[in-house]
Amino acid sequence: MTERYSEDDVVATVTRLTRRQLVTYVEGDLVRPERDAGAWVFRRADLARLELLCDLSQDLELDETGLDIVISLIDQLHAARQKLATLAGAIGALPAELQARIMSEMKKP
Amino acid sequence: MPDDPYEVLGLTKAALADDIKKAYRKLVRTSHPDLHPDDAGAEARFKAISAAYEILKDPETRARYDAGEIDGLGAERPQRKYYRDFAGTADNTYQQGRGFGAHADPGDIFAEILRSRARSSGGAFGDRGFSAQGPDVRYTLEVPFLDAARGAETRITLPDGQGLAVKIPQGTEDGQTLRLRGKGAPGFGGGPAGDALVTVLVRPHPVFRRDGDDILLTLPITIDEAVLGGKVTAPTIDGPVGLTIPPWTSSGRVLRLRGRGVARVGRKMKGDQRVELKIVAPPDVDPDLREFLAEWRKTHAFDPRADLMKGAGT
Repeated sequence: MTERYSEDDVVATVTRLTRRQLVTYVEGDLVRPERDAGAWVFRRADLARLELLCDLSQDLELDETGLDIVISLIDQLHAARQKLATLAGAIGALPAELQARIMSEMKKP
Repeated sequence: MPDDPYEVLGLTKAALADDIKKAYRKLVRTSHPDLHPDDAGAEARFKAISAAYEILKDPETRARYDAGEIDGLGAERPQRKYYRDFAGTADNTYQQGRGFGAHADPGDIFAEILRSRARSSGGAFGDRGFSAQGPDVRYTLEVPFLDAARGAETRITLPDGQGLAVKIPQGTEDGQTLRLRGKGAPGFGGGPAGDALVTVLVRPHPVFRRDGDDILLTLPITIDEAVLGGKVTAPTIDGPVGLTIPPWTSSGRVLRLRGRGVARVGRKMKGDQRVELKIVAPPDVDPDLREFLAEWRKTHAFDPRADLMKGAGT
């Protein structure tokens, strides 16, 4: 999971992606590679994200503005899901009696 | 899994190319795993949809399928990882500065949710513990030419009187926008602040001009320097350097000072400085020189414009 990809690797792996498009995504802050000695270093999560960006821009024909909005909403969605998962985990670690109280509290209108 | 691609996309064999595209797009909206991270069945559906579309989007493969040359599954696509598989991992950077940091203590997160609930209770979103990132704020900043070329630190004074430190990276170009994380408007309900977007306008320099990473300069030289050659001093953005004028040089000749241009973050090579030479006559009339050239002209006349229009067409 910690593999590193160079700019060349990315363009070769994500075949639908042109170098120009990649630069636009990085400059537009849609993808944030790390930097190593002046070169971009991408992780597998970045590759999956670039696949998603290609799906959205090429298959769904979103323009730059639409892409910006959608990816920002997806990021917010994931942030919210993570909070929820953490919250659920925290509740799960509580004594059963407390959990029951929380559940009944949540069912209140 | 049905392996008729028409069936997968909900179409008939009579479908037009446009219908195929429309049907595919509609199904992507409802089945893309990254657009439906909580839908466990999305991945299998999307895989079938993509495989079907792969066959039908290209008239050639579609014709081959219709002729029975290839079957509905086509070539199996390589295993693909979806973004949602990474979105929750600990080293995901796309959540930094938004919501809770990747390395936050879960206990703190719980406390924060309770706190923001308490703080905004009574508000419209209070009961759900609503929080959101603040909006980005845009600024324009005029920067001296050399500060943009060499990098600098400066401050913007905000409308509310507060100062904001801005680091101008080396090689910043006119019209470039810098993003300062968390320096925008405050967030809502405990959410993080937005970003400040600073558009940089580079003030022109009286001597230097810029072409990408190269610096352009016009350097005046004397007639004798042009004819005999010599060493002169040329200003660069990092201070004066020596420059050798080759003998018998014409006005307009461009000499290149390698690596004396703009360095840029993320690039190994610095730009060059290109020096255009311009021969300047002495300020006062020089009778000796005039006399010499009057004689010289009689015996050495040549016409540099003889071939000027040659090959220029009309």
